[in-house]
Amino acid sequence: MVDEEKLQKLKERIQTAKATNTPYQKTKKDNGAGFGFKISTEIIAALVVGVGIGLIVDKYLGTKPFGLIIFFIFGALAGFLNVYRVMRRIEKQ
Amino acid sequence: MAAKGEKHSPLEQFEIIPFTRTEIGGYDISFTNSSLSMIITVAVITLFLTLTVNPRSLVPTRMQLISELMYNFVAQLLSDTVGDNGKKYFPFVFSLFMFVLIGNMVGMVPYQFTFTSHIIVTFALASVVFIGVTILGFVNHGIKFFTFFYIPGVPFYMHPLLIPIEVISYLSRPISLSVRLFANMLAGHTLLKVFAGFVVAMPFFTGALPLVFIVALTGLEILIAFLQAYVFAILTCLYINDAYHLH
Repeated sequence: MVDEEKLQKLKERIQTAKATNTPYQKTKKDNGAGFGFKISTEIIAALVVGVGIGLIVDKYLGTKPFGLIIFFIFGALAGFLNVYRVMRRIEKQ
Repeated sequence: MAAKGEKHSPLEQFEIIPFTRTEIGGYDISFTNSSLSMIITVAVITLFLTLTVNPRSLVPTRMQLISELMYNFVAQLLSDTVGDNGKKYFPFVFSLFMFVLIGNMVGMVPYQFTFTSHIIVTFALASVVFIGVTILGFVNHGIKFFTFFYIPGVPFYMHPLLIPIEVISYLSRPISLSVRLFANMLAGHTLLKVFAGFVVAMPFFTGALPLVFIVALTGLEILIAFLQAYVFAILTCLYINDAYHLH
């Protein structure tokens, strides 16, 4: 089999490579900006949904401005809940 | 940069240029540079994956190895987050991952349009995930899917407060998913163009400094392009997992 030969050759090549190269060291570099960005999108997304629901409720039920106020607060709370979940997921890893 | 009415804005690159003017039933479905970019992306994915795995050799060539790595990467992601149930969603997640990844990479080619820098594109992708996952939840759990918003072990008087919060948190998923991808691509590409403007604007040979910075930024952009595709895929997996296991 050709593949058999190839495998044998590859094995040799891997062994020589392993012998000559020092193992690749994984440097853990935390990306602060990326992390902050992740958190802020969570809060903003929840606020957008909250305000959107508030405006729709106000428009159709005529409860201006209470729907907006209440759902803005709900949105903010949901944003913090999202952040909490993201943090818990990161800590688990 | 937009001095003397010239078009040199860093945001110029995101302009949609229609190649044809087509309208059906009041909807503008012109073939634009964005559409062209998407077709290039799909063509690159299809050609790359089919051609590289075509020899099907036991000892893979470098190119075949790249394809296999991508396959393994997504397969591993699914089995880690969803488990055995995740296998049937592999085609979907893999297509999504490849489309976003190669779309971002195609966008890194100079003069090439980046379709992921438009929120409507990313929002459409996120909506597909969101609606699909919601339907999946109803298929798996029926009407009991609504208990997803009900947190057990909480005093009953807290529920009027907690259920709206949970619902808003659920509805915010597609928005956070799409905004993250779109804003990263938009910000990165704008930053590159702003620094490219500095190269021309700075006197004598000092323009070399921002040029060096652009080279470094391009590397960072490629990292972000990969990272965002990964984030998109892993969040899709997590949402699929949520549709199976409420809480």
